[in-house]
Amino acid sequence: MPYLDEIEAAIPGLRAFARALARDREAADDLVQDTLEAALARRAQWRGDGPLRGWLCRILLNRFRDGLRRNRPAAVALALVPDQPDPPAARKAEGRLALAEVHAAMGQLPDDQRAALLLVALEGLSLAEAASVMGCAEGTLASRLARARATLRQVTGREMVAQRHGKAGE
Amino acid sequence: MMPEGSRISAEEALRLRHGSAGDQARLHTLATGDAALAEDLAEWDRQDAALRALYAPVADEPVPARLTAAVAAARTDKRAPSAAAWRIAAALALLALGFLAGWSGARMLHPAGSALAQTAMASFATYAVEVAHPVEVGAEDEAHLVKWLSKRLGTPIRPPDLSQDGFRLIGGRLLPGETSPAALLMYEDEMGRRLALYVTRREGGETELAFAEEPGRRAFWWIEDGLGCALVGDLPRDTLRHLAISAYHGLTET
Repeated sequence: MPYLDEIEAAIPGLRAFARALARDREAADDLVQDTLEAALARRAQWRGDGPLRGWLCRILLNRFRDGLRRNRPAAVALALVPDQPDPPAARKAEGRLALAEVHAAMGQLPDDQRAALLLVALEGLSLAEAASVMGCAEGTLASRLARARATLRQVTGREMVAQRHGKAGE
Repeated sequence: MMPEGSRISAEEALRLRHGSAGDQARLHTLATGDAALAEDLAEWDRQDAALRALYAPVADEPVPARLTAAVAAARTDKRAPSAAAWRIAAALALLALGFLAGWSGARMLHPAGSALAQTAMASFATYAVEVAHPVEVGAEDEAHLVKWLSKRLGTPIRPPDLSQDGFRLIGGRLLPGETSPAALLMYEDEMGRRLALYVTRREGGETELAFAEEPGRRAFWWIEDGLGCALVGDLPRDTLRHLAISAYHGLTET
C-alpha cells in the first residue's frame, strides 16, 4: 500500500490509541496531528519496508512523552496508585460503570505502564513488538505489563466479573 | 516440567500470552493444571475486553478534518521538503533507527517470504539476461499468456500495466514453485532494462512491502490474498519501490 494511503488508513486506530493514552480528546488529536506531520515530513526517506503502524505508534509515544516533559516537569513517572481500592459496596455491577472504573484505573497507571498495556491489549501487538515500539527490553515490557495488570485488577476489584454476568441487563 | 502446585511468574505468563501462537498454546496447557494461573488468564481476558470496549470505538468516530487535511496536503505537495523538514526528518530517522533494528528482529524477518524473494531474484538472474528467450509466451499473445498462467497457478492473475513508468510487458514463463507453479512476468523499458514480476500461490502470512537485495539485483516483495509476489530488477531502490506499488495495485485491483 502506498505510504500516504497507509498513513491515512492508520489515523482511526492512532486516534483510539492516543485517546486511551492521553485521556483527553483534543490532546489526543493534537498528538495524532503532530505524529502525522512528522511522518509526512519524513516520507521522502521512508524505505517502504518497515511496518508503518508500529512506527507511527512510536512517534506518537515520543511526542506524548515530550509533551509531558514540557507541561509537567515534576512527578511524571510517579502517578499514585491507592493501596486500597474503593469499597466494593460503592460500586455497581452495571456494565457501563465497570468500564468507567477501568478507565479511571487506567488513569492511575504510570504512563509507561499504560502505554505498554494499550500496545498489547488495544493495538494487538506481541510483547516483542510492543517492546520495539517503546524502545525497551522485552523484560522491561513484561514487567510494566504485569504491574499494570495487577493494579488494574486491584483497583477494579471483581466488578468486571459482575459486568460480564450482568450483560443481559444492558 | 513444573512441580505440581507451583506456577510461573506473571511476567513469564504474560510473555507467553503475548507471544507466538505456540507460546499461547503452551500457556493454556499450563493453565489446565494451575487454577491460579487460569484465573489470571480469565482476568486478563476481561481486562483486554474492557479496554477494547472503552477505546476501540474511538476508531469509528468521524476523523476530524484537520487530521485528514494533513495527509491531503501531502498528496498534492510535490515540492522538495524544506531544510527544516529535512532536519526534523534526519532527527526522526535517528530516533527510528533503534526501533527499526528491534522490529527487524521481532517481525520483519519472514523466513518463508525471504525465500520467496531469493527465488524471485534467482529467476530474474537466470532469465532477464536472456537475449533470445527471455520468455516462453510473448506479450503479443497476452490473452493466451494470462489464461495459461492463471490456469497453472490455479488463481486468476493479470499482468500489471507498468507502461506509465516506461516498462512494457514482453511476456512470461512458468516456473516450478513450492505449493504451485510460479509465473514470471518480464518487463522491459526503452533502455533495455528489465524487470521481473514473480507470482506464486502463498497462503497466510500476509506481509507489508519488504525489501531484499543481492549483488546486481533488488526486490520488493509482499504476500497478500493468497499470492506471494516479488518485483525484481537492477534499479534504484526508490524507483523499484514505486514500481512495486504500481504492480501491487495492478495485480490486486480489478
